Amino acid sequence: MNTLRLYVKSIGMLLRSHLQYPSSFIMQTLAQLVMEGGEMMVVILLVDRFDNLKHWSGGNLYFFFGLMAVSFYLTEFFGRGITGDFPSMVRTGRLDTFLVRPRGVLTQVFCGGTDPRRITCIAVGVAALIMGSILSGISWNIFKVLILIESIAMSCLLILGLFMIEAIFSIFSVKSVELVNAITYGGRSACQYPIDVYPLPLRALFTVVAPFALTMHVPASWILDKPLYGWPLWTAFVTPLSGAVVFTVMTCFFHLALRHYRSTGS
Amino acid sequence: MRGYISVFKMRLRMELQYRGAMIGGILCQMFFGIVLVALYNALYEGKPQSVPIENVATYVWLQQAFFRMLLATDPDLVDKIRSGDISYDLCRPVNMYGFYYARIMAQKLMGSLMRAIPMLAVAAFLPKGWGVSAPTSALGLLAAIPALFLGLLCICALENITMAFTMKTLDPRGMQALLNLLMMTLSGNLLPLTLFPDSWQKVIRFFPYAQLMDAPIRLYTGDFAVSDAIGIYALQGFWAVVLIALGMSMWNANKKRMIVQGG
Repeated sequence: MNTLRLYVKSIGMLLRSHLQYPSSFIMQTLAQLVMEGGEMMVVILLVDRFDNLKHWSGGNLYFFFGLMAVSFYLTEFFGRGITGDFPSMVRTGRLDTFLVRPRGVLTQVFCGGTDPRRITCIAVGVAALIMGSILSGISWNIFKVLILIESIAMSCLLILGLFMIEAIFSIFSVKSVELVNAITYGGRSACQYPIDVYPLPLRALFTVVAPFALTMHVPASWILDKPLYGWPLWTAFVTPLSGAVVFTVMTCFFHLALRHYRSTGS
Repeated sequence: MRGYISVFKMRLRMELQYRGAMIGGILCQMFFGIVLVALYNALYEGKPQSVPIENVATYVWLQQAFFRMLLATDPDLVDKIRSGDISYDLCRPVNMYGFYYARIMAQKLMGSLMRAIPMLAVAAFLPKGWGVSAPTSALGLLAAIPALFLGLLCICALENITMAFTMKTLDPRGMQALLNLLMMTLSGNLLPLTLFPDSWQKVIRFFPYAQLMDAPIRLYTGDFAVSDAIGIYALQGFWAVVLIALGMSMWNANKKRMIVQGG
């Protein structure tokens, strides 16, 4: 609980510090809005031209897009320490100062960064979710709301876990590994569309290695009343938990990797 | 002129040094390419379009292969602007605009060729509709090469215009993000311009952004007839001249009111 309070407090401080430069902040936030709006426009243009993607209607696609946008940018908003700053912490030796303080390293990393500019990206995602929900005619009930919340929370944990792979790599080789981007940012691009449109190797990658399909597509397709592969209801509740599994495993690896951490000395 | 050529050559050699980064970049870009091609294939299954899927796949691969040409900035220059070291450049006996134009051109040219050749070699072996198909005619390929070069001139000019904005505001991120988004969308990187609504295409293809990658790719795939090549070159050349003139005047204006950030 103490850790959580510390985190909330640090994030509050960081937010205030970001707001010290209001014009730059507003400009960058607007830039984020335009960027995410551009991504959304691509989906709209595709739906305009093709109407359907296999058996998914345009409304379904907006729903999937919104789910990915909300999860991914919530993660970047609150987990900036891992998703953005960590490799540079290793390179510049800032991580050393974390090692001597009486708190967990991971806690401090999380407390060290936030990216409030992403708020507009999240807004675009929420708009896409609402638009998708209306166009697909979803009849909401308490189960569906619960599943949606679980799906978003678990997807955030999954994305954090995947960014931690990059963090672990950066401990061993000081130059950050661009290839890991293929499953984080690549996963975002690929999995904003439902998984079953892809050929088997890609499906396997995003079900087993980086289980976006389990945390997002299984529950979302159940919400849309088109269960993925015809799986029963309980899978929609169980499979998203894989996000928590990935996060836990990566946390263990992260602590193992920290034992091998050698400071760059600067 | 000799000065600019030697800057260009030095930068070419420098770019050749980063082979490790290159391999990571290639694999990442290939992954994005495969995902996009898979998506378009799935979309085409439901509703085939007038543009054949082979052309769309080729378009995607060429865009991914030359991605570095679109999106490569000169990190040194941004640092120099922020730290104030740019004042040293004012002492050089060359035109600053030309100096950086040559540098960025070498970086984009070498960086993208080094990535494009291995990527396209692999993509050529993918099955039809998934990989790069051969150009419709040898003439199409020949016509695409000068168009690519003219496109490169336009990109470098656009890059320098972005830099001019950075000099004004010192914080490159907001403006850069906006200009990059315009570039990624309107040059056909996010979505092939051939798949934009037909009414939009009539306008978009005359924008400067469409001259960068879209024009050469369409000459290659045969969406533009080889007989129209002269008109396309003229349009590209027109934009290259306009953009360079605009960038130069912005740089000159900036030079007059430049405040060096001490230190």
